[in-house]
Amino acid sequence: MTPQVAAFYLYLTLAALIAVVFLVVAASTRRPREVSKRGANRLRAGFFVLLAVILFSALGLTLGRMPYDVWAGQIPDQVVYVTGKQFAFAVAGTPVETDEAWQEATMSPPVRVPAGSLVEFRVRSLDVNHGVAIYDPGGVLLGQIQAMPGYLSRLRMRFEQPGYYSMLCLEMCGYAHSSMRGVFIVEPRA
Amino acid sequence: MSASEAVAAADTALADPTSARAWRRITLHWTVVVAVLFLLMLLAGLTMRAYQGGYVMGLGPEWFYALLTVHGLGMVGTWYVGAMAGVSYRLARFARPGLGVARFAYLGTAVGVVLLVLSTLLGRFGAGWYFLHPLPFHSGGMWPEWSIGVFFAALGVLGVTWTIWTLDLLRAVARRYSLGGALAWHVIRGKQGPDTPPFVLVATSTLISAIAAFVAAVIMLVLFVAEWLGGQFVNDALLMKNLVFFFGHGLVNITMYLGVALVYDLLPEFSSRKLSVNKLMAWAWNLAILLVLLVYFHHLYMDFMQPRFLQYLGQIGSYLIAIPAAVISIFSVLYVVYGARVRWTLAAMFLFFGVMGWAIGGVQAVIDSTISANFRFHNTLWVPAHFHTYYLLGVVMMVLGTLHHLAGEFAEAPENARLSKVITTLFLIGGYGFILMFALGGAHSVPRRFAAYPQDVAQGIGYARMALPFIAVLAGAVLLYLWDTGRRCAQAFRA
Repeated sequence: MTPQVAAFYLYLTLAALIAVVFLVVAASTRRPREVSKRGANRLRAGFFVLLAVILFSALGLTLGRMPYDVWAGQIPDQVVYVTGKQFAFAVAGTPVETDEAWQEATMSPPVRVPAGSLVEFRVRSLDVNHGVAIYDPGGVLLGQIQAMPGYLSRLRMRFEQPGYYSMLCLEMCGYAHSSMRGVFIVEPRA
Repeated sequence: MSASEAVAAADTALADPTSARAWRRITLHWTVVVAVLFLLMLLAGLTMRAYQGGYVMGLGPEWFYALLTVHGLGMVGTWYVGAMAGVSYRLARFARPGLGVARFAYLGTAVGVVLLVLSTLLGRFGAGWYFLHPLPFHSGGMWPEWSIGVFFAALGVLGVTWTIWTLDLLRAVARRYSLGGALAWHVIRGKQGPDTPPFVLVATSTLISAIAAFVAAVIMLVLFVAEWLGGQFVNDALLMKNLVFFFGHGLVNITMYLGVALVYDLLPEFSSRKLSVNKLMAWAWNLAILLVLLVYFHHLYMDFMQPRFLQYLGQIGSYLIAIPAAVISIFSVLYVVYGARVRWTLAAMFLFFGVMGWAIGGVQAVIDSTISANFRFHNTLWVPAHFHTYYLLGVVMMVLGTLHHLAGEFAEAPENARLSKVITTLFLIGGYGFILMFALGGAHSVPRRFAAYPQDVAQGIGYARMALPFIAVLAGAVLLYLWDTGRRCAQAFRA
């Protein structure tokens, strides 16, 4: 199960719970009854404690798992340069900083990275904001980073599964946004 | 005389019969405008989903993006004005909002909408509803220069109009309660003060946040136009993205909270149980003014160049804001209804289930505002799943319920209980089914805003197709709602 699907089931469960609560409350109006304000406030206090515990636990568990500075102390095994421009990603082993270099890189054979190696993507844009989303050979979105004009961003990832990996654009960038792509290959370990 | 007017205090806009009649008429006009815009924008949305399902032939992708732009801005604008129309009328029971300003707002909105439609449907301007800089200037040959200018003009007209409208409501509130009184500072301090209704507290807090959002919009618009008019000036992309999301998130968040203000105001009228401002409620809504403006950072998580502490602030703020929303507002709504004697009119059902939509949308929001989850969910269909839940099944229901109720009040029309139940049931089934297809798409890595799905994410086509029957059910509910509300409006206009 991917993290996305797991999160979807979590959402579905909580949404169903909320729906049940609302339907039960609505149905309760068929038999009107007195509700003490004190009782309601005690229940509210309990709800507050439960929600605060859940949210603060989730904060604690997730704040340390950000994609920004992962493997910060290590030198990457390979640097891959990704440059977005309407409407393709140039993915190359050397920096792509001009329209001509971008044109050439989009026509060149795909970059290859060894499975398990620490890859650093250095991402830039030559025109508008693009979103570099990396999809594994099975079509699952593994992670992403925005390419913003005037800025260089870095994303570090490791890929265990060999095969063709796609990059789709996830920031709307014009009429051919959905056909924009890049590709790289993860090779089996030697 | 409507029920609202019967309870209006002296020296309020509804106390005088001539003024009251004028307020009824402008609210009816707003109801008609909201209804027409909703239907047209819904059709635009249906076309987009059908396009993604491969059912629309003969239209290039540039038209998909033009429709996307008009649908997004159109819906955001429609529900802002719908909520403001409801809030203005209900505020007229307590204070004197300006009728002249209300008419100006109506006219300004009409002009802005015409300009927006010209820019998108004639000019094919397709930069999306948040027109992320510098995309408006990079059309790839698809939209002409004039459409950019007309788009900026639309934003300018709407921005100025809505800022004046918001300021006027704050003026009216401040005149009646003083700003501190409206924000129930006396309740926080445990002192004597005006009897602040919860509706006034919520509306005031929300309108103050709205002003901040509009100020950001003005700054952003000036910077855009300065760059567009030529010369060497080029804006910083990160600054522009921060500005557009401070404004955009602010606008949609305050629209939701204006809907919540209507719930605080109207729902207790259908119930035997009432709400009053207490210390907790006062604290929550005063803190909300700032919190609403700080959570926008969650839109920039995937911009790794954004300062780290702002990313942390985004997640922490987005989590914390869930607490007063759930513990104060949503819990209070459940308290007002549980075991009470409730008149289940269409308005009561829509207001109540609109809050349910707010709660369910909130779960998705907390998940997506978790940075490690956003790494996988950002700009996938998870995002439209979330905001359509907040809108269609949240604030849209709150506003539709309010306007149906007000039209009925003005026409003194009876409730058709059976029809109301049918409309509500179809709306919920159609709405949640439609949104489920977005959520499934997000769970399976399908990007948002794709005119066509490539092989890697071909499952997106199936989800788009499966959404269509649910949209049909929703459209059925909307048509029945429009027929019922339209009858009430026609009767009220003749009264």
